Amino acid sequence: MSHPVVRQLRDFVLGSALAVIIATCAFVAVRNRELAAKQIDLASRAADAIAEGQAPLPTVHAVLVGDAVPSTKNPYLRQREVKDGDEWRPLTAGGSFDDKLFYDAASRFERQGRQPFKELLKDGSGCAIAVRDAPAYAQLGHVADRSRGIAIAVTPPAHPAPYPFLVMIGVLGLGAALAAAGALVGGRAARAGTFAGVAAVAIPCVLWRAPIASTAIVLVAAALALAQGAQLTDRLATGMRRHRTALGFLAPAALAMLILVAAPFVIGLVLGFYDHHQGTWTFVGLDNFGEILSGGGRPLDDPLNFWFILGVTVLWTVANVALHVTIGVSLALVLSRKWLAGKGIYRMLFILPWAVPNYITALIWKGMFTGEYGAVNSMLDYAGLDHVSWFGSWATAFSANVITNTWLGFPFMMVVALGALETIPKELYEAAAVDGASAWQRFRHITLPHLRPALGPAVALGSIWTFNMFNVIYLVSAGQPGGATNILVTDAYRWAFERGERYGMAAAYATIIFFILLLWTVFGTRVVRRKGDDS
Amino acid sequence: MTSRRPRLIWVILAHLALIVVVAVVLYPVMLVCKKAFEPGRQFALSASPIPTEMTTDHFRDLFTERGASGDLLFLRHALNSIIVALLTTVVGVALSCTAAYALSRFRFPGRKMGLTMFLVVQMFPATLLLLPLYVILNKLGLLNSVLGLVLVYSTTSIPFCVWTLKGYFDSLPRELEEAARIDGASPWMIFRKIILPLARPGIAVTALFSFMTAWNEFIMASTFMTNQNRYTLPVLIQSSVTEFSADWGLFAAGAVITSLPVMIAFYVLQRYLVGGLTAGAVKG
Repeated sequence: MSHPVVRQLRDFVLGSALAVIIATCAFVAVRNRELAAKQIDLASRAADAIAEGQAPLPTVHAVLVGDAVPSTKNPYLRQREVKDGDEWRPLTAGGSFDDKLFYDAASRFERQGRQPFKELLKDGSGCAIAVRDAPAYAQLGHVADRSRGIAIAVTPPAHPAPYPFLVMIGVLGLGAALAAAGALVGGRAARAGTFAGVAAVAIPCVLWRAPIASTAIVLVAAALALAQGAQLTDRLATGMRRHRTALGFLAPAALAMLILVAAPFVIGLVLGFYDHHQGTWTFVGLDNFGEILSGGGRPLDDPLNFWFILGVTVLWTVANVALHVTIGVSLALVLSRKWLAGKGIYRMLFILPWAVPNYITALIWKGMFTGEYGAVNSMLDYAGLDHVSWFGSWATAFSANVITNTWLGFPFMMVVALGALETIPKELYEAAAVDGASAWQRFRHITLPHLRPALGPAVALGSIWTFNMFNVIYLVSAGQPGGATNILVTDAYRWAFERGERYGMAAAYATIIFFILLLWTVFGTRVVRRKGDDS
Repeated sequence: MTSRRPRLIWVILAHLALIVVVAVVLYPVMLVCKKAFEPGRQFALSASPIPTEMTTDHFRDLFTERGASGDLLFLRHALNSIIVALLTTVVGVALSCTAAYALSRFRFPGRKMGLTMFLVVQMFPATLLLLPLYVILNKLGLLNSVLGLVLVYSTTSIPFCVWTLKGYFDSLPRELEEAARIDGASPWMIFRKIILPLARPGIAVTALFSFMTAWNEFIMASTFMTNQNRYTLPVLIQSSVTEFSADWGLFAAGAVITSLPVMIAFYVLQRYLVGGLTAGAVKG
């Protein structure tokens, strides 16, 4: 590995791999964009031609379609007359593949107020469709009624250009040669060679008119040359050689995390900058984040306002964690009494809610809260209280969620607290008793300080779990009334799957949630933990 | 904590308070068990947790209900759940064993960062990745596929397995490995011949937890598996009590059958769980 050319080629492989990935993304994007533009243009020219009564384009399937009229045989079905080439025939939605396209396109055209449209089909075939008014239709004089005609053109499927393997191999060969030549000269020329070699991959990108990718590749090349100059690559290589056993062992999990977590995470970050509408993504910059953080122009008490939801989420987290800790610690304190009989049985029963899958817990409580005669309302009956419509108002719906989550969450804190109490040396209590400390003093100065180190991390963990307790909110109150009991994670989900597939908004939400959690884990848990450490 | 016996009144009060909590804890569970054997689709006609009439109709319905394609729904969904959970466990454990060992025994730059990354991924909810995963799987045509759901579950299962197994490896004595190293065994040999056999109990516990997590997962499955044939059990159970048609009898029967095995497993394994969770949190 010590020969300079070998070292040089090692660095070149590293840099060019990155460059090739960037170039490939650029190629795919450019290719798809060009293909779409070409096909749509073809479809629209064909539609124009036939709409004005000129000869249709040879490769494109273009037709003139009339208004929908009741079918003669079966008046309940509606059909259209279509002029396909020189032949007139009825058009039904159940016909051939193209007929179905024509029928749907005609209906959509009329539904949208006869606005012309042209687009690529969503089925990935590469076909484009164009639809517009056809003044020529009325002059044909074929149909008795006065249909306003529609011109529809569907292009044949198109296949994107194949990946330019030869170009890439050529460019890489050229780059490798440049890099090796630089290494042979040595010194500054070596770095220049690295730069030129990797930057060579940018040449095809320039030809494809992909400025961002070209710049990115040149930057990669420059960064690599600089790293080489600072001997970073050499040190990295030595380090990797020295720790190659450890890295080898680590590789499977690390690789899987890279593909399964890091890649989706980055894609999620990027999606936040796009708007998604019916299968098409448009870059909108920071618009999604702006809409979320400004509350979207909604008043602060609107359930769709981000700050309202954040408030609900924080309240939800604080209320639950407080209840979990209070109940859990109280039970642990009672259960840790030496004189208590049957503590094993109690402990076993108390962790039951932890054992029940939480989606089942949520659904059970949903059932218990629902309806005039739900179990909870029947209980209120026994107690002589009025029935409550639990999901009718914010306060009761929120309480229903909190009750459910408290039921399922306190055992964790109880078990943690019990574990911590077991570690307190008995002698401390005996000594305190000898010194005449009261029960409260013993609790304050012996029990609490010993509980804190264990409870700190448990609270940190519990707060993150509660902050993201999707199942309880989604299944118990489902955000009722009017979305007011949603928390951030359920609202993000609704943007994606229940409010017209606004994936961009949902992705931006997820990004914001991620940063809130990150802030909380870095700073919040430090506060929780410092409290544990200082006593 | 003091060895003195307290006054009788305190003992009675403590037991009374504990029994109230026991009642609150048991009530919802008993209500479901009652519903599973009580006729009718409504959730509860009375607040009493003891059934007045007994029937096994709900279980019979559950096992004989057929979907649009004529399959027995419950068995199909149970099979889906088992396959997904098993594959997730295998992927999780297989990929994380070696990494956990490396993090436990080797010292290398970036180790601490690696540990933190695994912890953060495990702690942070998978729902944050739900949308990008959905978009990617949709592009790859992996919605409604077992493979897709296994990949999704692996995002949480791998970091979980890494952390729990690392904790277990930490607790194993190092003397055997050092002896083997002196005898000239390669690291891979040591891992395969010494560590893996020693760690079998730890691996089994980790695998069971991983299985239970996948078995109990609801929202991902319900988002990614929209075709009724591809449902897993949680999706089936939830879909039996939607807003518009709720059959609580079917729900209760399904809930009892689905959660009984994992609840038993939980009781057997719970002492390992607490240690693992808090150990991870403390060190992060």
